[in-house]
Amino acid sequence: MRYRAPLTLFLLFIAVCLSMLIAVATGSIQIPLSSIFSDETAHQIIFDIRLPRVIAAVLVGAALATAGTAMQALFKNPMADPYIIGTSAGGSLGAVASIVFLAGAGLPVFAFTGAVAATFLVYTIARRGGKIPVETLLLTGVALSMFLSAMLSFLMYSSGKSLHQIVFWLMGGFWTVSWDQVWVALVIPVGCVLIYLFARDINIISLGDDEAVHLGVNVEQLKILLLFASAVLAGIAVSIAGAIGFIGLITPHLMRNIVGPDHRILFPAAILAGALILLWADTFTRTFGNEMPVGIITAFLGAPFFMYLLRRRSAV
Amino acid sequence: MKAVDVIDLDVRYGAHQILEEIAFSVHSGEMIGICGPNGSGKTTLLKAMSRIVSPAAGEVYYNGEDMDTLSFRMLAQRVAVVPQETAINFDYTVREIVMMGRHPYIGRFASESREDHAICDRVMRLANVSHLADMPVNQISGGERQRVMIARALAQEPDILLLDEATSHLDISHQIEILTIIRKEMEKTATISVFHDINLASCYCDRIILLKEREIAGIGTPAVVLTENLIHSVYGINVIVGTHPSTNRPYILPMYEKAQVETGGRRVHLVCGGGTGSLLQRELHRSGCLLSTGVLNVLDSDYKTACDLGIPVVSEAPFASISGDASGALMPFLEEADMILLVPMPVGSGNLENIRLLEPYAKKTVLVGRVESFEDYTGGEARTVLSRLLEGGMVVVDSLANALKREL
Repeated sequence: MRYRAPLTLFLLFIAVCLSMLIAVATGSIQIPLSSIFSDETAHQIIFDIRLPRVIAAVLVGAALATAGTAMQALFKNPMADPYIIGTSAGGSLGAVASIVFLAGAGLPVFAFTGAVAATFLVYTIARRGGKIPVETLLLTGVALSMFLSAMLSFLMYSSGKSLHQIVFWLMGGFWTVSWDQVWVALVIPVGCVLIYLFARDINIISLGDDEAVHLGVNVEQLKILLLFASAVLAGIAVSIAGAIGFIGLITPHLMRNIVGPDHRILFPAAILAGALILLWADTFTRTFGNEMPVGIITAFLGAPFFMYLLRRRSAV
Repeated sequence: MKAVDVIDLDVRYGAHQILEEIAFSVHSGEMIGICGPNGSGKTTLLKAMSRIVSPAAGEVYYNGEDMDTLSFRMLAQRVAVVPQETAINFDYTVREIVMMGRHPYIGRFASESREDHAICDRVMRLANVSHLADMPVNQISGGERQRVMIARALAQEPDILLLDEATSHLDISHQIEILTIIRKEMEKTATISVFHDINLASCYCDRIILLKEREIAGIGTPAVVLTENLIHSVYGINVIVGTHPSTNRPYILPMYEKAQVETGGRRVHLVCGGGTGSLLQRELHRSGCLLSTGVLNVLDSDYKTACDLGIPVVSEAPFASISGDASGALMPFLEEADMILLVPMPVGSGNLENIRLLEPYAKKTVLVGRVESFEDYTGGEARTVLSRLLEGGMVVVDSLANALKREL
């Protein structure tokens, strides 16, 4: 199965490129190709609305897939996702705080800060004598997420008329995306490349921390890198599109089944697959779904598909 | 220069002291085994030597370099570790796992060179896993997986190899296979290996360290360390130490029952022969009684046991009948004994005297076993003597413990 790796990467790459073209061309308003440059409105729709949104969806998908893959390797657990270290709860709390107290001013900044701060807090609490035991990290992440969710619920409870806006944001979507956010999202490829440089170390750490030390990996340093690079990636994703679920959990799984566990191939495969899935989910919702939050679609399709993968796995 | 030099190593988990002032060194090409009861700190020692736990005090030097000054990569180029059992959650192929052994040699921006591939192929051949190269590592057997781990360690081209019970979960043939590969293919490597099986350690190690409650209780060649006393003090069990007939290394046989018989310093004389008394000699010897035995032929294994234990023994030349000298030497022992123990044994004309001389002492003679168990090669004469002993008051019991319960 894994000998298909180069072919899979190639096909995924072509698929992402084509899908971007198709996604730019489709939408609730049909725009003939000829009118792009002649018609002012058509030009605006294509270049100021659809193109940034398509690029953002691709980059956010890539970010979530990379962070999810990295977390699954770090925790040696295929159930880990990018939000496991508190990023989604922290990011959501930051965003909702901005909506409630500042009428949504600086929301992306708040969301990003919340996400990274939550990870930093998890890291600080889990740290013991220069080391971060993976189990402690995992449990701390879960516990802190619960605490932050409680604060979030309280804010929602006392938010009054902005509740609708909050709920809409929490479900995740790309309808507000402009070029400004795309420029910020360009940090994502940098983060992906940084993590990719450690792909071989990540292969080894997925065997276990002690074994990784035996094979010459500076495990604690690598953990810090993975934690914070993933937090930044997931934080940017949350700040742009809210806490979109399942992409970061499913794409590494799906791709591991196809290209095998070697992260030097798994990362690019998951990145392309994450980009592709999120792009199509968003294109679907803005074309047919009446701008339904994209998080609903990813969860609606992702959860059953995930169960299917699990069933198939245990059958083997 | 020594390959490994461990100097006064202390390890603590919190306030709990795990290892205390551990010091030893290992030469290149030498294999040293670490044995000791559960919780004596064996695995912790290896962890401290591979930077998994940091020692509270002391140093570890590899080829004269302080471990603390080495980077993780440099350490992995010098020291390889084979863990006890590896659960691998992701289905890497055998080749991918072995190639991970080259990780410390490959730069951040580089990928595996042709040389790395050649080394991988070579070590997979040595560890006999070439045919598994493309199999997912979680679909092969435990023995195969452990050979893969050995191959990976070989791929690291280490000067020092640490094995943490690397063969404990394998059957005996795989244990031998893996230890043979290590000894054969890593003859310039200093190997430190934790063993649960003392006999395996005795067979493969040049030296053995016995750990007992945080400290080294004994270090040296198997013959020096594997003594009944030292093993008793470390493990709290009684063992018989013998010599393996083909390797000439010491091997130990545990005496499975832990309870000891108590004799409280009485005089006991044991009449045995043909290897029937060795076990009783050991038990009696440990029980604290003043034991004597004989007459024994000097080729008899019972004679050898008596000599090993330092028990006074009246002896006779090989294949000779018991002479007047020997029976004369025996008389004082019989006279002064509080109890004479007799065990069923082969009786021929050569040693018939042994039971005949007991007749005056039938009342303090106890037979441990059954009269029917004697092998009579004297044409019925031995049986007659035994009958007379029974008539004279010899008591028959079924075990040593019951014999000693009797009034001494």
